[in-house]
Amino acid sequence: MAAIELDGVTKRFDDVTAVSDLSLTVEDGEVFGFLGPNGAGKSTTINLLLDFVRPTTGTVTVLGHDAREESVAVRERTGVLPEGFDVYDRLTGRAHVEFAIDSKEVDVDPDDVLDRVGLADAADRQAGGYSKGMRQRLALAMALVGDPDLLVLDEPSSGLDPAGAKEMREIVLEEAERGTTVFFSSHILEQVEAVCDRVGILREGELVAVDSIAGLREASDADATLSVAVGDPVDDDVLESVRALDGVQRVERSTEGGLRVGCDSDAKTRVVTALEDNGVTVTDFTTDEASLEDLFLAYTEGERDEPTDADASVAADDGEVDADTTASRDSTATSDPAADSGETADSDTAAAGAEDADADSTADESDGDETDAPDAGDEAIEEEVQR
Amino acid sequence: MSWQAVARKEFRDAIRSRWLHGSTLFFALFLGGASALFFGVLLGPESRQVSNLFGFFASLGVFSFSFPGLLALVLGFIALSTSYGSITEERETGSVKLLLSLPNSRLDVMIGKLLGRSAVVVAALLVGFLATFVILVATGSRLELGSFVPQVALTALLGVAFVSIGLSISALADSNREATLATMGLYLIFAILWGSISEGIPKLVNYVAEQIGISGVSELTRVQLGVFLKYLNPLKTYETLAAQLYYGPARARLVSTTFGERSVIAPVFEGSVPFYFSGWFLFVILLAWIVIPAVVGYWAFERADL
Repeated sequence: MAAIELDGVTKRFDDVTAVSDLSLTVEDGEVFGFLGPNGAGKSTTINLLLDFVRPTTGTVTVLGHDAREESVAVRERTGVLPEGFDVYDRLTGRAHVEFAIDSKEVDVDPDDVLDRVGLADAADRQAGGYSKGMRQRLALAMALVGDPDLLVLDEPSSGLDPAGAKEMREIVLEEAERGTTVFFSSHILEQVEAVCDRVGILREGELVAVDSIAGLREASDADATLSVAVGDPVDDDVLESVRALDGVQRVERSTEGGLRVGCDSDAKTRVVTALEDNGVTVTDFTTDEASLEDLFLAYTEGERDEPTDADASVAADDGEVDADTTASRDSTATSDPAADSGETADSDTAAAGAEDADADSTADESDGDETDAPDAGDEAIEEEVQR
Repeated sequence: MSWQAVARKEFRDAIRSRWLHGSTLFFALFLGGASALFFGVLLGPESRQVSNLFGFFASLGVFSFSFPGLLALVLGFIALSTSYGSITEERETGSVKLLLSLPNSRLDVMIGKLLGRSAVVVAALLVGFLATFVILVATGSRLELGSFVPQVALTALLGVAFVSIGLSISALADSNREATLATMGLYLIFAILWGSISEGIPKLVNYVAEQIGISGVSELTRVQLGVFLKYLNPLKTYETLAAQLYYGPARARLVSTTFGERSVIAPVFEGSVPFYFSGWFLFVILLAWIVIPAVVGYWAFERADL
């Protein structure tokens, strides 16, 4: 049986569509991570599960019950750590847990639950004096009362210090082992990777991907990327010959005037060798393993590489600083000084006719270049030695 | 039934609030102080009886004053203040998400809040009446329990009615600020404007009737309508019901009337009090002030997105 089933759910508020035609199934016993940037509709989706808000269209089914009509039945078996909640300032921690016990009509010792989330010592203090992290733990304690079949956690580790976040993770895993379905939202990716069976990525109210982390990695083009810094601009023929190599998926010029090569891990050496065979001086190269961060950004920001690519091609074609694009080229010049040193000299001449201020700043940068260059060269040598 | 859980939570929360401590102290000083003043100082030993304070009604025609009326004004204010923020505040802080992530239905929440907050108001009120009772016994006053005990119960019901009114405002309002303004406005109407409105409506009806060619409404009908409208105000419903406990229905129905109204309506009441002016009918009105606002509030809260 599916623990959570959203079918064509749209939620519109007055002037904004928070969730758009969302269909999603979370299986029983699964740990499902719900990812997305702020404002993507994560909390709205969770609020729909709990009948805090009602769908404009579509149906929401939780633990086999209609989330709208049978919300109490849903919440009897669901533990919730809501987002943007607050505690009752005047009630003690224990009173909060007792309220949860009363509401769920179960027979549990409140102190056991408080002990589990590390609040036993603060049980008799009024919750108004709790820190953000303690409030978060208290809400988790209330959620855990009565051993729910489903845990819904909205940004569970917000406000927790690293140790608290780790404890939270351990509790989630314990619950998952007990067979509890866990549905939680987060924008902290490491947490998702550590505990989730599957993740769904939400972007502007739409589900853009649902898969395991490994599956997402495979499916996404945010795989291993080799960044190569070169001594001189690379001409198109060389680019083509690199592109033709085995295991190379894509080659593009980077903003720094070097290359970005998407390739299999074992093709890295071939790429560098091919460049050098073509007379290109490789001054540096680094490999980026596709991080979760990249994965996440690739999904939530879509075609984010395009603008930078355009910049790079402008740079490569002109081979010099245009007075109009000084701002963007400045960053180019400083970010990869070694590779650009020749080009920067050119740009000095090109900018000579331009405003004095511009020319000055470019000159300053080339000063910087001279001091940086040897370092970069050393690194390149080290790389070569390693090979 | 998880409304009990909500009610218990509400009570435990409110019982620690300074507002409640203040109201309790106020009731103790107000009721205890007035009792001490009347039964200890002002009244001679032979006139020391409950009805001389709790059945004190003075009507000067244009202006009437009664101790139960004053008590009702104060209680209405305190009860409204206790409840008007009960939902809007939870929404604004976000604690409503804890409340409703637990298996409490919105009906449970409304019932629980109504009962929990009412219990708080009634508890404060009872402390005041307890102080009175102690003074009554200490001064050897005649207790007239047959009237006094029902009056305590009536007063408690009035408190619950205003808790219900405040709760419904809280459910209908979009923000705490809106709830505050609505509560202040409503209190102003109940406490000050209601009388003028209920005297104005029969005149308006009469005027309209004359304009559209029907002969005017008879004076008796106009006065009866006006007085009836006055007693729809829960403050006045309570006042006249309290008076009935000491003086019987015919005299009690005159407590909020002007001289003009009285001269027309008193002869009618001396014959027999029409059913819509009977004590039971007015008691139902008082109960309706508990039930209807709560139902309207539930209707709004049930439909709202948090």
